[in-house]
Amino acid sequence: MKVIPVKAQAGLVGFESPAAEYIEMELSLDELLIDKPSATWIGVAQGNSMELDGIFDGDILVISRAQQVKHMSIIVAVLNGVFCCKKIDIERRALISSQVGAKPYFIKEGDDFSLEGVVTRSVRIHTPLNKKIGA
Amino acid sequence: MYFLCDASGFYSSAEKVMRPDLRNKPVVTLSNNDGCIVAVCPIAKKLGIKKFVPYFQVKDLIKKHGVVVTSSNYELYHSLSTKMMDTISQFADDIYVYSIDELFARFDTRLSHDSWLDLGRDIRRTVWKEVRLPVGAGGGITPTLAKAASHAAKRIPGYNGVAVIDSEQERISILKQMDVTDVWGIGNRLGRKLNLLGIHTAHQLSVQSPARMRKQFSILVENTVRELNGEIRIKWDDVRPDKQQIYSTRTFGARVTDKRELHKALVGHCESAMRKLRRQKSLTKAMTVFASNSPHDDTAYYRKSIYHPFPVPTMDTRIVTNALPAIIDKIFKPGVCFYRCGVGIVEIIPAANYQADLFSLNNDNPKLMNVLDAVNDRYGKSTLQVASKGFDKKHEMKRQFLTKRATTRWSDVPQIKC
Repeated sequence: MKVIPVKAQAGLVGFESPAAEYIEMELSLDELLIDKPSATWIGVAQGNSMELDGIFDGDILVISRAQQVKHMSIIVAVLNGVFCCKKIDIERRALISSQVGAKPYFIKEGDDFSLEGVVTRSVRIHTPLNKKIGA
Repeated sequence: MYFLCDASGFYSSAEKVMRPDLRNKPVVTLSNNDGCIVAVCPIAKKLGIKKFVPYFQVKDLIKKHGVVVTSSNYELYHSLSTKMMDTISQFADDIYVYSIDELFARFDTRLSHDSWLDLGRDIRRTVWKEVRLPVGAGGGITPTLAKAASHAAKRIPGYNGVAVIDSEQERISILKQMDVTDVWGIGNRLGRKLNLLGIHTAHQLSVQSPARMRKQFSILVENTVRELNGEIRIKWDDVRPDKQQIYSTRTFGARVTDKRELHKALVGHCESAMRKLRRQKSLTKAMTVFASNSPHDDTAYYRKSIYHPFPVPTMDTRIVTNALPAIIDKIFKPGVCFYRCGVGIVEIIPAANYQADLFSLNNDNPKLMNVLDAVNDRYGKSTLQVASKGFDKKHEMKRQFLTKRATTRWSDVPQIKC
C-alpha cells in the first residue's frame, strides 16, 4: 500500500515550529533531586541548629531511606517520637548539631531511636511561596 | 516461584510511617464514616482488639488501653502502597498487585530453600528500611501455595514473617496446620459444605480428586486442589476478573429527611459506580437503587429497593442519573430518617461483545464520558460532575480522626526539628 503523507488541515494554519523535531521534556526538579522515589520522603526543617551545614529554618528536606548512612552523614532520625535532623557520629553513637559550641547528644539506653534516612538535598525558599508548607 | 507479600495491619501501620509519635502505640483505623474497625496494628492486635467490630462497641476498651484511633486516610495509604509495591517489584521478574496491601511477585530463577528464605527476609528488611512498613512474605510454587505460605508466615509460630513451600515435606506440614477456610478462594459457605464431606484442613482438601471437586462444586475448587498440589492453574488475568456487579453505598454523616438531599447523594453514587464500570470497559443493563434508616433506630425499620432495567445497555452517567427522580419517588417516604443509601450497577456486560440492536436508540456519548473521566482523573474527583449532585460538601465522608496527608499535600508535610 502506498501512503501519500498529506496532513489533514482545517482553517487557518501557521508555520510548523522549526524545533518540532527537537522537543524534549521540560526540566523537572523531581527527576534531578530524587534518586529513588519509592524510598524518598519530604519534610520541612524547623529550627537553626543545622545552619552551619547549610540547613535553615523553613528549608525543604529531601530524605532518602535507601541512601547509605556514613559517619557524619546528615540524617533524619526519630528520637523519642520526634523527627529530628542532625549529623550522626557512628563511632560514638551520637547526634551532632552544627552550631558552634553545641554538645553532642549521646544516644542512651532506653532512648527510642531509629534512622529515617539521609538528607540528600535541601531546598531554600528565597521568595515566600503562595502556599503554606509543613504541618 | 511466587511470593505473596502483604503488609500487616496496613492502614494502621501506614499511619505510623509519618507519625513517629505513634510508632510504639496501639493504633486502629476505622472504615468509611468511622463505622467499624478495619485495621489493627500489631501492637493493638496483642491487646486483643479485633477487626470488623463497630467502633461504638469497643470504645471503652480502646479508651482503657490508650489506643489511638484514626479515620481512613486513603490519600496516605495509596501513596505508601505505591512505594511498597515499587520497592518489592525491584526484586521480582513480574508482579501483580492484588489489593492495596498485597501483591504477588513471580521469580523465574531456581534457588535452594534457604536462598528463597533469605530472599523473603531481604524483601521484608528492604520494605521496612525504605518505606517503614512491616510486610510478611510467603513463597510457593503456585499462587495458592504462596498464599498458604503467607498465612503460615504470619499465623504459625516459628516462621517469623517468612515461609516458603518448595518441598513436599514443607507443603504437607503447612497444609496440615491450616483450616480449609484459610485456603485462598475457600470462603465460609464453601467451607461449611466441605466440612460436611469431612474436609476440615487444607491438606484434606489437597488430597481430594480434582474431577470430583469440579463435579460437586466448580472448576474453581478443582483449580484450587490442583494448585495446592503444585500445578499452576491461576493466571494473572484470572486473579481479578471484571466485576459482575458494582455497588456504591455509604451511610450518611447526618440523617437525611429531605428528598432533594437523598437525590444528591444517589447521584454521587451513580457517578462513582459508572466511573468504575467504564474503567473495566463494560455496559450495564440494570441498576438497583436503595435507601434505609438504621436498624438501631427506635422507629420502625424502613428499607426500600427498586430494580430499574435500562432499555439499552449503557455506560453514560447522564442516562443513569436521569432515571433517578422517578425511582426516588418510589423510595422516599416523608418522616423516615434515612441513614444509608446506595446504587448497584447489576447485569454488567463487556462493551466489546455487545451486539447493538438495529432499532434500539443508544443515547450514550462515549466521547463526553471519556472527557469527563480524563478531567476528573487529572484534576481530582468531581472537577466535572452532574449538576444535580449539588456543590455542597455535606455528603463527603465523615472522617473525624483523619490524620495529615503527609505524602501528598505540601501543607501536611512533617516538621523536622533542627
